[in-house]
Amino acid sequence: MEESIMIVEGICVVIAVYCALRAVFEKNTLLKFPFLNVMNFAVTGAIVLLLPYPITIGVAIAYFVGSTLESNAIASTISTLEAI
Amino acid sequence: MNTMINIILAIPISAVICLLLLASVDFFWKLPKAGGVSGAKVIGKEIEKKGGDINGGWMIGNIISSPDASAGTLLAACGYYIWGIPGAVISIILVYIGARICADKGYAGTSGCILATLVIWVLTTFAGFPPESFIAGCVIAIFFIEGISSKYASRILGKIWRRVS
Amino acid sequence: MDLILILAVLLSLIGGIATVSVRSPFDKLICLGILTSGGVLFMVEKGYLDVAICIALLMPIGTLFILLLLGKKQEVPK
Repeated sequence: MEESIMIVEGICVVIAVYCALRAVFEKNTLLKFPFLNVMNFAVTGAIVLLLPYPITIGVAIAYFVGSTLESNAIASTISTLEAI
Repeated sequence: MNTMINIILAIPISAVICLLLLASVDFFWKLPKAGGVSGAKVIGKEIEKKGGDINGGWMIGNIISSPDASAGTLLAACGYYIWGIPGAVISIILVYIGARICADKGYAGTSGCILATLVIWVLTTFAGFPPESFIAGCVIAIFFIEGISSKYASRILGKIWRRVS
Repeated sequence: MDLILILAVLLSLIGGIATVSVRSPFDKLICLGILTSGGVLFMVEKGYLDVAICIALLMPIGTLFILLLLGKKQEVPK
């Protein structure tokens, strides 16, 4: 087990759990999104480090584009509901 | 290929390089100037209400809601780690398709991906950086922009934007 | 690979317990996103990569449908 990959995995795991906890405990709904975005970055890195096969690039990009679409949709709905 | 640099030394350097890439491509496409997608506009306004800066807030909103240079840099690093240059080319194509799916009219994501591929290839071949250090560098760079406090980060980004533009 | 398995377990637990505990519907949707991140990590770890792509692409579409219903529910009483 290479040591350099374990350090990078450790960084992704620590940042993901820290930002997930901060996203849950944040009071303001719109300020949860930055923490959620950091968590998605870290999980994308973790997916790639887990199984380094060429198809994993597709999984990582699908997960990241899905998370961007979801954040955009929720934030856009909050903006239209606040305008009413 | 010469010997690899120690990874503990390579991660901070790659974090700074990713941060510079991210900021320069986003400033080039003028992302902090106006809102962009509606999700970015509302996140920017909320950051300004809590004491941040409006331009920095719009840039953070664009990082969250649209596939900009942050996505391009991270996915270029992932593609290069898995399969070298062909992997990075696959990720450029998929980032372009993904940007069209998100109905994003700009080219910030694709251009960020191409630029990041070039930088990563140069640093990996000629300076001995291990490819996985760029994945850690991207995650740490985004953590410093959004994960500690969006208020102060937006103020710093806004100040740099107004000095550059 | 043991470390990322711990990450998947923690994310699923945090997402699951938070979805039950928080009140506002938008917060619940965000915590469902955290739960699916844990789910995708489990799928990738076991080698089911095509299932992982399906989950990662279909959960945001489901969230979009829930948001459309939320918009109609708040619009009808007005």
